[in-house]
Amino acid sequence: MTFLLSVLVFSPILGILLLLLTSKQHESNLKMFGFIGTVPPLLVSLILYQYYASGASLADFTIKNNWIRFGNLSQYDAKLFTVDYELAIDGFSLVLVLMTALLTSLAAFASHSIKKEWKGYFVLLLFLEIGMLGVFTAQNLVLFFLFFELTLISAFFLVGKWGFAEKEKAAYSFLLYNGIGSAILLIVIMILFARAGTTNIQALTHIITIGGVPTIAPISATMKYALLVGLVAAFAIKLPIFPMHRWMVMVHVEAPTPIVMLHAGVLLKIGAYGMIRFGMGIFPEQFKSVAIYLAVLGVINFLYGAFMAFIQTDFKRVLAYSSISHMGVVLIGLGSLQAAGVQGAVFQVVSHGLIAALLFYLVGIIQEKTDTSLISDLGGLAKTVPRLSGWLLAGSFASLGLPGMSGFVSEFLAFLGLFKSEPWLAAIGSIGIVMTAVYMLRAVLDITFGKEKEKYEHLTDLNWLQQIPAGILLLLIVSIGVYPSLLGEPLQRTLDAIMIGIGR
Amino acid sequence: MTEVPLSAYLVLALVLFCIGLYGALTKRNTVIVLISIELMLNAANINFVAFSRLGVTPSITGQVFSLFSITIAAAEAAVGLAILMALYRRKKTVNIDEMDTLKH
Amino acid sequence: MMENAWLIPLIPLFSSVILLIFGKQLRESAAYIGILAVLVSFICSVIVLVERIDAPTYKQEIVWLVTGEVNITAGFEVTALNTLLLVMVSLVSCLVQIYSKGYMEGEKRFSIFYTYLGFFTFAMLGLVLSPNLLQLYFFWELVGLGSFLLIGFYFYKKEAKEAAKKAFIMTRIGDLGLLIAIILLFWKTGSFDFQEIFSSIGAGEISGGMLTLIALLLFAGAVGKSGQFPLHSWLPDAMEGPTPVSALIHAATMVAAGVYLVAVTFPIFSASSTAMETVAVIGGFTAIFAASIALVQKDIKRILAYSTISQLGYMMLALGTAGYTAGIFHLLTHAFFKALLFLAAGSIIHAIHTQDIYKMGGLWKKMRLTSPLFLIGALSISGVPLLSGFFSKDEILVSAWVNGNFLLFWIAMITAFLTSFYVFRLFFLIFTGQPKTEVVSKESPFSMVLPMGILGILAVCSGYIQTPWFGSYLGEFLVKGNKFLLVPAHSEGPAWIMAAAAVFSLSGILLAYLIYVKQTISRNFLIKEGSFINTTLINKYFIDETYYFTVGKTVKGLALFCSYIERFVIGGFEWAVTGTIRSLGSAGARLQSGQVQVYGVAVFAGLAVLVIIYALTGGLIR
Repeated sequence: MTFLLSVLVFSPILGILLLLLTSKQHESNLKMFGFIGTVPPLLVSLILYQYYASGASLADFTIKNNWIRFGNLSQYDAKLFTVDYELAIDGFSLVLVLMTALLTSLAAFASHSIKKEWKGYFVLLLFLEIGMLGVFTAQNLVLFFLFFELTLISAFFLVGKWGFAEKEKAAYSFLLYNGIGSAILLIVIMILFARAGTTNIQALTHIITIGGVPTIAPISATMKYALLVGLVAAFAIKLPIFPMHRWMVMVHVEAPTPIVMLHAGVLLKIGAYGMIRFGMGIFPEQFKSVAIYLAVLGVINFLYGAFMAFIQTDFKRVLAYSSISHMGVVLIGLGSLQAAGVQGAVFQVVSHGLIAALLFYLVGIIQEKTDTSLISDLGGLAKTVPRLSGWLLAGSFASLGLPGMSGFVSEFLAFLGLFKSEPWLAAIGSIGIVMTAVYMLRAVLDITFGKEKEKYEHLTDLNWLQQIPAGILLLLIVSIGVYPSLLGEPLQRTLDAIMIGIGR
Repeated sequence: MTEVPLSAYLVLALVLFCIGLYGALTKRNTVIVLISIELMLNAANINFVAFSRLGVTPSITGQVFSLFSITIAAAEAAVGLAILMALYRRKKTVNIDEMDTLKH
Repeated sequence: MMENAWLIPLIPLFSSVILLIFGKQLRESAAYIGILAVLVSFICSVIVLVERIDAPTYKQEIVWLVTGEVNITAGFEVTALNTLLLVMVSLVSCLVQIYSKGYMEGEKRFSIFYTYLGFFTFAMLGLVLSPNLLQLYFFWELVGLGSFLLIGFYFYKKEAKEAAKKAFIMTRIGDLGLLIAIILLFWKTGSFDFQEIFSSIGAGEISGGMLTLIALLLFAGAVGKSGQFPLHSWLPDAMEGPTPVSALIHAATMVAAGVYLVAVTFPIFSASSTAMETVAVIGGFTAIFAASIALVQKDIKRILAYSTISQLGYMMLALGTAGYTAGIFHLLTHAFFKALLFLAAGSIIHAIHTQDIYKMGGLWKKMRLTSPLFLIGALSISGVPLLSGFFSKDEILVSAWVNGNFLLFWIAMITAFLTSFYVFRLFFLIFTGQPKTEVVSKESPFSMVLPMGILGILAVCSGYIQTPWFGSYLGEFLVKGNKFLLVPAHSEGPAWIMAAAAVFSLSGILLAYLIYVKQTISRNFLIKEGSFINTTLINKYFIDETYYFTVGKTVKGLALFCSYIERFVIGGFEWAVTGTIRSLGSAGARLQSGQVQVYGVAVFAGLAVLVIIYALTGGLIR
């Protein structure tokens, strides 16, 4: 059984091999193989879920092999300064892995709009998938970092080569901001490694929270704070938190749509994942005392994103700022330090992944059909393309947190948490709930409702094949919204562990 | 027969090296620059051999090293001259001041 | 049947899903599926009501989500109030769906219309059955979505688009209050469940100030949904939707949800006198405020919309003066006669294709069925004795009097007068006088007349469930067995109130008759044309304009402020950082001249410096 996780993470290689053996010119074959390449991870993750659902313990899947040893200190402690190849999965990871595998498949499906160099594109896409799957299963920081960098590099090329008009600028912006984040992350990891002699998450958690273990060099209380702040800053850039969000808007506007689906759906979530797993998991004590700042930042993000989205003229920018706003909800939930709030944050990670993917999938189709995503250029689409408009409306209602869809559960839980710990802050932040409706309806109604424009009279509506991705995503969104225990159950144990860590 | 002292070899090497350095830094003709570099290499070879015979712990290693060094110098000269030939065919000059295509 | 009451909302949802998928193929027969589904729901509701009369409250729940140590539950509850609303909602929905078959004939998106109607009915029935506040909020928003979709049904009209957006956003402002109230209640009582919340309030676990705050926030939700001042202005605009929708959502059901919310959380309100007073004052003010606007409007549907706002204010006034039964009673009777008026208005619009009452006239002889039905509705809403509106209005007036709030009592009295005046202004302008349009108007088809007929009967008879003469069945049914509800089933008031109410309403009708039929009194008698008051009323007290210049501009300003931060502060910082690095880089690049010998000199000089340092320090740098 233990091989299953390795298979999961590296199964996209099959697809890569298949692609490498295909001729560069064979557009349809390349697209097909690219899609097929994303199927094995999806199947493996579904098998994993099947095991989980049938009551098997996820701990059985843990892999641990010797990998790298630094120096020669084995006479003191066999594990000192070693980095193992270790993968494991728990409920939280499982959910994210499922989402990653699903969204990558859908993104590969949506990649029919890619116009050139399909071979390189799909190879990079599959590398990106390896990176994302690895990030969510890695059990030590070095391995995590390697996978993290893999996502960064493949995403950089995917944005820079296959994007829209200002793709290079966006790609460099992406690389620079995330490079700074990576650098900070690497420094933190190296300090921890140098001082504690390990980067295993469990071992580190034990050393930092309980102590009593001899370490190479002591980690002082101040240093713990510094390390946590470093970690949070690194992941804050990824999330992104105001004021480090500008790269993300550019990427969302310029990147090819399938990549934006993945970027908004999964890559941003790595920031949240890291903050929860490493920030809250390894440094619970310190996290408690910075939580209030996170909550404030979360409220700022939530409102700032909403107000910015309100005056954008490009629908993609509206969605980008809406993502920023919704990532604020993650911070609000985490900052509340309440069980409900943290649960809300985790729900938001999943829920926004699905909703953002749905919306960007649709906006990609709109752009493909009309060659524009400017709100003022569009209008009255409901007349000629009713199905497309219907899905878009459904997606926007999911985004504005309509009950019955996943967004409501996460927003509600996050605010439930914050109202307990910081009622006034929560009261200010809750204005954003109204603002979300305002900007979302403004944008979507201007696109779909109103008088139809003559130039769009001959648009063709979605066919049934194109509706499948939207249908799958909406089905998941509604299922979680109607019966959130579906998601709550796998997450329960991870959440309990975190809550015990911060002593609530 | 009195032995030539170590310092004599070293001074010879020093003089050779300085001549080579002067030539490498000041001459305009690239061929002369290359020859000057050979001079500097040979200065180093003299040091190798001298220390191998008269150093604190004499050993054959220094002479072996000098053999390596000569071989490499030969290879280097060959490559250098080949590049110079190619450049000359393009630019019709061997003046080193005009070979500044590596600037930023 | 009570154990299976959860099926009642799901049947319309099921029909709605079927229609969404197969609507294209079904075309106009979609109507039959929709009608059938809601008819089944109606029959089930009646069975549940009959069973509930002799049975205690039934409740069933499942765990919806575990958060921390708390289990959030979902389920359904069959209480006295629920069952009444179930019957009312499913009945009106059923009638409106039958009516729509005729009204929407020839519409391209016919099946979509029934999809939306089914969805709305599902949400409204779900709202009514909710046993806890969170679930209520859940459906509360879904109802809002249904309303949004139906207002925007004619999506290609700019007005419809704006109205739909406005309705959703304005109600959401109120909903925010409701949401915060729910969260606060959860932290104070540890539950969303009505029963548990009421028992901890009964045990005095929440401080007075907090309780008032919570009650006011809850009321904010009700204000948004029920179109009370100051969040009323979406409701008249919502008339852009098809007329059956106005009858169903914006007269009978959804807008009454606000009143229902206050009624269902009544123990919270009754624990705080400040909150009760606020409810009463807002209700009373809205009643007379909206009635005054209705006096001068000329769009038939808008007049009815303002009338709805006014009547909802009446209900709030009743609840605020502890007239629990009176509020619910008026909610029921109003649902019937207002739905009737809207459907009749729809029938008129269907016939002559205009909504401007000054372009109508002389329809009495042409629409032999619609006209008397409209008259019944008009008489009932005016509170003419022996019709349903008379009894429910009387109940409200009595409760205001008994409560001792005489200012509000007289406001309610004057509103009754204004109501009968504007309704009969409408009636006389439409049905009497000379026809003003050439359109040959004919009577509407049977599918439209039948629902109006049923509603007409109800508008006449439904008042007799709670009368001072035959007994207060409704009040006793509502109060019996509800240990948290500390109100009498019926308030006893002086008999002259009933007489006075009759006089006020009849004099309103008389005045309208004299002005618009006999024309013995000039139309400028009450309010002079072009005067300040007249312009203010026609422009609805400039409320929309005020909002535009205050709230709208503030939001725009804040957004612009944010974008300046983005562009200049963050952008400036980015520019500074990249600029510094760039200039450092280009300075460094200038050193690279391409002159190999210069590099050699530099290397040699560097070596020389190192050697000198080495020589001066005499060995390793320490």
